Amino acid sequence: MTQFAQAAAYGVVQGGLLALVAVGFSLVWGIMNVINLSHGAFAVTGAYVAWLLNQHFGLDPFLAIPIVAVAMFGFGYVIQRGLINLVVNAPIFLTLLLTFGLSLVILNILQLLFTADDRTIDTSYASQSFVIGTVNVPYGRLAAFFLAVIITFALAALMTRTRLGHAIGATGMDRGAARLMGIRARHIYAVTFGIAAALAGVAGTMIATVGSFNPTTTPGQLTLDAFVISVLGGLGNMYGALAGGLVLGIAESIGGLLLTGTWVNAIAMAVLIATLIIRPSGLIGKAQYGGRVEV
Amino acid sequence: MIAEPQTVSDPILEVRNLSKRFGGLWALRDVSFSVSEGQIVGVIGQNGAGKTTLINVITGHLRPTSGQVLIGGQDVTGQHPWVIAHDRVARTFQIVKPFRGVTVRENVAIGAMHGNAHDRTVRDALATADELLALVGIEKHAHDAPSQLSVADARRLELAKALASRPKLLFLDEVMAGLRSQEIATAVELIHRLRDSGITIVAVEHVMKAIVSISDLILVLHHGSTLAMGPPAEILSDERVIEVYLGHRYRKTS
Amino acid sequence: MSSRGPQSVSSSTDALAAILQGRQRTGREVVVDWVRSRTLANSWPALAGVAVIALLLGLQQLIEPGTMRLLSAVFMFVALAQAWNIIGGYTGYASFGQVVFFGLGAYVTAVLMNNYHVSFWVAMPAAILGGVLFAVLIGVPLLRLRGHYFAIATLGAAEGAREVINNMTPVTGGGLGITIPTFGDQAPTAYFGKPGFYVAFLVLAAASVAISTLLARSRFGYAMVAVHEDEAAASAVGINTTVVKVVAFGVSGAIVACAGAFYAFQQIEFYPTDVFDPSFTVLMVIMVVIGGSGSVVGPLVGAVGLELLSQFLRVNLGTYNQLIFGAIIVVVVVFFPQGVVNFFRDAWMARRFSLLDNIRRYRL
Repeated sequence: MTQFAQAAAYGVVQGGLLALVAVGFSLVWGIMNVINLSHGAFAVTGAYVAWLLNQHFGLDPFLAIPIVAVAMFGFGYVIQRGLINLVVNAPIFLTLLLTFGLSLVILNILQLLFTADDRTIDTSYASQSFVIGTVNVPYGRLAAFFLAVIITFALAALMTRTRLGHAIGATGMDRGAARLMGIRARHIYAVTFGIAAALAGVAGTMIATVGSFNPTTTPGQLTLDAFVISVLGGLGNMYGALAGGLVLGIAESIGGLLLTGTWVNAIAMAVLIATLIIRPSGLIGKAQYGGRVEV
Repeated sequence: MIAEPQTVSDPILEVRNLSKRFGGLWALRDVSFSVSEGQIVGVIGQNGAGKTTLINVITGHLRPTSGQVLIGGQDVTGQHPWVIAHDRVARTFQIVKPFRGVTVRENVAIGAMHGNAHDRTVRDALATADELLALVGIEKHAHDAPSQLSVADARRLELAKALASRPKLLFLDEVMAGLRSQEIATAVELIHRLRDSGITIVAVEHVMKAIVSISDLILVLHHGSTLAMGPPAEILSDERVIEVYLGHRYRKTS
Repeated sequence: MSSRGPQSVSSSTDALAAILQGRQRTGREVVVDWVRSRTLANSWPALAGVAVIALLLGLQQLIEPGTMRLLSAVFMFVALAQAWNIIGGYTGYASFGQVVFFGLGAYVTAVLMNNYHVSFWVAMPAAILGGVLFAVLIGVPLLRLRGHYFAIATLGAAEGAREVINNMTPVTGGGLGITIPTFGDQAPTAYFGKPGFYVAFLVLAAASVAISTLLARSRFGYAMVAVHEDEAAASAVGINTTVVKVVAFGVSGAIVACAGAFYAFQQIEFYPTDVFDPSFTVLMVIMVVIGGSGSVVGPLVGAVGLELLSQFLRVNLGTYNQLIFGAIIVVVVVFFPQGVVNFFRDAWMARRFSLLDNIRRYRL
């Protein structure tokens, strides 16, 4: 029983972290119909920024978050404006390929700069934890979890309460109509991608704080997780991404307890495919953009 | 329903109590009619009256909420479009749907090499395509991309594609929309020729004058329901049709 | 319908009646016609193909075993690119999990040869059959999905299949890998060696190019194009879109599974992460895109060009090869979105060579 409670608790905090990775991915997919295979690379880039700040200036990763977010926003904005906007209207395999190539470039530069070694940001509190009953909850993971929840709600508020959010949403629903309303789609797309990159960077920072990362295996795993969560949660649905992250986090930790080997990964893929076939708009709630016809 | 159509022979198409609902909206509600072989039937109605939905449900592109579709006496309700196409039923699309990656000639050939009584080789299909392109008058565009065609020529391609599958029953979805009066005249002439070759035609139209002049029977749809049905003369004098659909304008011009 | 005189109306009605009658030709007539229609002018692609194969077989006598191995890899990617083009290029369903057939083909072959001491010549057809069955199994539900959804679902299928193989340790050896016995009495089939695999992969490449060519020119080829362009319009002219998609997926899967079978035997020892590596899928896609999808020549040019280039980068630029490879992908997608072959063909026909036109095509 304790084992399960512990696994569930771990799953919840891990799920929050995964949700933070996925929410930007889901946003870009929902608004621009672009599957960003370099999303994991963005997360790892953010992690390196925070890691460098910590190494050289001893900056606490939580304090580094604003810097990481701004830097990654700028990076994402430029990438979208200068590169992805060029192929936004292309057949889907072209955008998939472009972002795959982009991720190869980013990750190989990172590897040349920082080697392929596992890195982690050490803090005094990351290894400490408190105990509820018999369940052990590390402070670092809990803080990361709350940050993920706060950011998700903040993003949802941005999308529903602000002019910028409305402009993004309108562009996602009908680019032509949005343009007629005086919305500059190129700029809005770049801002959207910048937001997603910033969120990925923040998520990467948190991952670096509570665990470790490297430029070879981490990015692919994160992108794949973002995939599964976005599909489970429904495209472009912030709360869906949060819920999808929690479902995946809990399922993986409890599944890891019950199943041998990596069967849990196979099951995750089976659930992904089943969701796509049965309910492409996502398991949780209603997708905001799922009904849009793809061309 | 106003009047039962006079059955000349066995109906080639019979629609029984057909309904289609999209969420809370009834696009079609309890529509029944039948079409005899060799007839030209006009379906008219305002925008959103359910004309295109009617074609989509009959040809299998949409599944009806309730009701039945019989083609040649056989129940084909809810069958796949290709199954219905193999019963020698063809259709055009209101928003033309050419195969953009291939030439105009190959577009028609694709119709000729599939469906019922199809050509057995690509070469035969291309030969059929050439004949059909000449028939509808766009033979000089045979090797062009469909995107290079004018609106009127794209409609002709749509028609040639449908004819290529050698239909006995042909649905035309607004083939005359956007055409100039000279073009409408030639289209009317062509529809007569098709009927003379033994094709039964159901034509959905917005252009009132043209359709009235060639139809044996007219079905008027209004908000998805049958408003009136009968021979053109009867429809033109029907009070409700005049009020709801034709309005004052048509009365004045006629 | 340019205004015709009244006389031509009746004659064209007869013409229409004749068309609607259809051409009732017997199979014999069709064959005789085809044979008569063959000329040197329309048979040159086939003749050129035979000449190239003969040339490559002759070349084998002149080259080092190392070069043979390199060219074997080129041949294999020719087959893989042609296979992806059938489902992704002609039919328009961009599969991002096509490597699943490669992995399955490899594992069916290795498991049969290792666990059951079956000859390669039995195991390889079994691998192809396995590929076809799996294509039908996942194709029927997944080919109802469009665009991104199909891409992700196939990616998921490939990742999932790898995990299943990875965890079926008693049968597949799991993460520890599997070894095909190739020595002495243990070997169910004698190892081909580099010269043998050179010929094997050459035959595979030639067969896949031939299959792709024949498909493209057949009624089925036109059906694939019709499905690609517009499924509603395709089904309206009587094309069973489900069958077309599943068959295209199956043919593609069969070729990839066959390549996987040969690859497994060539490698002797391998792991699930090797033969289910998503970069195989990405390579197939990028080769088709670089060359130009929807034709036979495009994927052929893309596969040969890119594999030679990547081998060159690996040898000469060591640590930078992945970086440059990524940059090439980005540049190609931006500047040649329709593929190099299609670009030069269109540019030649329009007498207009402008990369800016390419960028304008898909940009925001």
